[in-house]
Parts: sequence; structure tokens; C-alpha cells
Amino acid sequence: MSIKNEIKFAVYAIKKNIESSAELRTSFLMNVLGMMINNVAFILLWMFFAKSAGPIGGWTPMDIIGMQGFLAISYGIVLSAGNGIRKVAEYTASGALDRFMLSPKNLLTRIATSSMNVSAIGDLFFGIVCMTIYSIAIHVSLIQVFLIFALLIISMVSFFSIIIIIYSTSFFFIDANNVTTGIYELYFTPALFHGGAFQGIMRFVFTFVVPTLLIASIPVEILKNISLDKLLMIFILTIVWLLVSIFIFNKAIRRYESSNLMTFGN
Amino acid sequence: MKGIRLSKKIVATLVKDQVNYPSRLIIDTFGLIARCGILLILYWYIFKINGGVLNGTTFIFTAWSIFFYFSFSVLRLRDISRLIMQDIQSGNIEVLFSKPMSYLFYRIWWQVGLGVYSFVVINFFATIILILMLGIPSTMTIGIFIPTYILTFIFSAVLSLLLYTVVGLLSFWIDDINPIYWIVDKAVMILGGSYLPIALFPVLMYKIALYSPFGATLFVTHTVSESWKTNWYQLVGIQFIWIVIFVILTFIMFKKAKQRVSVNGG
Repeated sequence: MSIKNEIKFAVYAIKKNIESSAELRTSFLMNVLGMMINNVAFILLWMFFAKSAGPIGGWTPMDIIGMQGFLAISYGIVLSAGNGIRKVAEYTASGALDRFMLSPKNLLTRIATSSMNVSAIGDLFFGIVCMTIYSIAIHVSLIQVFLIFALLIISMVSFFSIIIIIYSTSFFFIDANNVTTGIYELYFTPALFHGGAFQGIMRFVFTFVVPTLLIASIPVEILKNISLDKLLMIFILTIVWLLVSIFIFNKAIRRYESSNLMTFGN
Repeated sequence: MKGIRLSKKIVATLVKDQVNYPSRLIIDTFGLIARCGILLILYWYIFKINGGVLNGTTFIFTAWSIFFYFSFSVLRLRDISRLIMQDIQSGNIEVLFSKPMSYLFYRIWWQVGLGVYSFVVINFFATIILILMLGIPSTMTIGIFIPTYILTFIFSAVLSLLLYTVVGLLSFWIDDINPIYWIVDKAVMILGGSYLPIALFPVLMYKIALYSPFGATLFVTHTVSESWKTNWYQLVGIQFIWIVIFVILTFIMFKKAKQRVSVNGG
């Protein structure tokens, strides 16, 4: 199947997911607004922290807003469009993966777009607000505007690649749901922390081994200092992680054994 | 007597379950490493670059305060909100109401039973590691520390259960309580001294933490501060007042909620 058809199918599936979620209008709006308010907590926390501790690693309180912008937009887009990947453990345990495997569409696209996280739309809006504030505050130039879009794509691809790897481990464990949740926590939680505090060995580990800083902290630094070296570095890292994630997913999927449920997956 | 027997049975059954299926222990361990462990390393670095003192406090006090927050959160008492919501959404509430026991009593003990095994195991090892790596601050060696810590810990647990039960009971009126849960949870997170320890709170924020129920649910984080030996009775008193208020609120809400249930049978 051509890539064009895959994209067309993915867009159709995402559209249907949004329409389905928006049917429960009050719940949908409350989820979106609730998540936006919820996210303010992290900005407040690190702003108060920055007030007490002063600039750390060259980071100002405004950089925290930029970091939250990158983080929330990437999280919002990836999980509102491809939350299905986080349900792989559930699908494998229940046998629901059978119906995806029998579909003529690309398996990864089919699984990823099978579910949406409604509150992730709240994250997306929150991220856009943060990014707008940050852009105004640092007086972005035209080059920086292009950089924002390029960095957002890198951030989303790296985040998506890592969650593919994390949830592909579902095929290797019996109690996969809990294991994947644990690994995901370990990967994602540091992304919420003050980016300037990651120095020395911690920066190395969370850039190359557990690439959490690729989602938001390093993009903020690249945008602020217009560092093309760092841009090239995270671009290459992201491509590597994307290829590794597809390889691992394809290897892992071979371990799946159909549970042949009479309900045919549901 | 019957109530005590029931609560002991619930807790014992759930502990046995957790011992045999330690998946929750795995998640909680990963969670504690991802949140508390990494945060402590970052704070260690921040204190180091600030000459060992930040806002008049040293790293050892900050570390223990943060640890007390995360060790308490391993109990996961806040999950009671979602359990109540699930009971209502699934219709399970009808079955539980028909049993010869108090629904809230049952849910509260169920929640305690779910978290107690992970709490004991993780905290036993984490406390030893922290003592070996950092030592014990002087405030934890005074005579009143252990009895007052136990007292405020019990009050914190009771108040947490009541606060989140009230949020859960809102499910009788609202379809999806998640947005309210997020906001309450983040208020507890900020004012309880999670990522930002209470020693680094600005004056106004400290006062809000002191007099709001959100901060009062985690007064265990105050036990390590210098002022604890002089103002512990004031903080415990505030917790007690909030417990009384929330007991009354829970009772009124539950009474009203029961009137809204329509049992359809079948």
C-alpha cells in the first residue's frame, strides 16, 4: 500500500476518533479544559522553583514555559492521534490484536489510530498557548519560527518512536501492562522536570540512553541559542530512534500468538 | 466488631494478592525511581551549584521532605476517586449497595489494602538507601519525631481518603470526574511539597499550603523541617479540623447520592 493511502487512512481514523469522542460534548469539553488547568501546575511549580533557586544551566522561568509548550504540543498531537500504541498490552492480553492483524492496512498505523486520548487535545491547546507566550517573550525571528516547526516535528517523532519501543515490549512479558506503564513512567516523568538541572552524566543519560530530553528541553535550548549543531544531533538521534522503533515493533509482533477468542477480539 | 473483622479481611486478602502478583510493586518501584530518585539527583546538583544552601535550607532536609511526599503517594489513596467513578459507570454500585456493609467503608479499606504492600516493601528499602546515602537530619533525631510523624501520617491518610472520596462521590452528579480529579490532585501536588519542597515555598504559598485541605493532606512533608518541633500541634490540629469538615461533607454527599441511585436489576 502506498504511503499516500496510509496517511489518508490515518487521517480518516483520527477524524472518526475525534467525532466519536466529541459526541459526549460536556465530558469532552471538561476533559480538554481540565487538562489545560492541570498543566498549569507544572509551570507554577518550576516558576516558584526558579524564583527560589535563580537561573540554572542558563534557564530562566520563561524557558520553562517554552519547555512546557514543546512537551504539551508533542504529547497532545501524538496521543490524540496515536493513543492506540499505548493499548498494545491490553490488545495482546485480550486477543484484540487479531482484528488489526487481519486488516489490510499497515499494522502500526492501524494500531496507533485505533484510539484517541481526549485529554491530549487539552494538552495540545495548552502547548499552543505556552509556545505563543514563549515566542512573544523571546521575540522570535523568522528563522526561529521555522525552527519551532522543525523542532516540533523532531520532538513528536522522537516521542512516538520511544513509545513504540516501550509498548512493543508488551509482546515479551506476561503481565505486560504493568511493565510498560513502569518503563513509560521512567521515560516520560523526567521530561516534566526543569531542563536546566540536567547537567553532566544526567544530561548524557537522558539524551542518548533514555532520550527524554529530546522531547522538550533540548529543543528549547536549540531555539533559544539557534544552535545548528545541536539541531543536527537531535535530528540524527531521532531518525535512529525511529528506525530502531520500527525494527523492534516488527520483531516484537512476530511473538504474538492469536488467542482465538470466540468474540473475535472484543 | 463486624466492621473491624471485615476491614482486616479486605486488607489481608489484598495483601496476599499483591504478594502473589507483584506487578503493582513493579510499577510503584519504577514510579518512585522516575519521580523521587531522579528529582533528588537534580536537587543534589542544584544545591551543589548554589553552595549547598538554597532558601536557607540544605539538601538533606529537602531530600527527606521530597521522599516523605513520594513515599506517602505510594499508598495511592487518591485512586479511591476513580474506583468510585468506575463503580458508578459500570453499575457495580448496585451490587455493592445491596451487600450488608457500608459502601464507603468497604471502598476505603479496599484502597488501603491495595497500596499497603507496595508501601511497606518500597519504603523499607528506600529508607535504608536514603539513610546510607544521606544520613538522618537533626530534626528527625528528636524524641517527638516518631510519635508525631505517625500521628500526622495517620491524619494525612484519613484526610486524603476523605478528600478523594468527596471527588469520587461527584460521579453521582457528573459523568466524568477526571477533570476535577486532575485539578484537586495537582493542588495537592503543588501544596503538598512534591517537586518543590515546602522549604522553598514563597511566603504566600506556604500560608495557602498551611490552611487549605490540599496542603494539609501532606503535612508529613513538614515533619523534617526545623519548625516542626514547635508547631506540630498546630499542624495536626489543622488536619483534625479538616478531617471533621470532610467527614460531615462526605456524610451529606453520600446521603444525597444514595437518593439518586436507581437500581434497575437484571
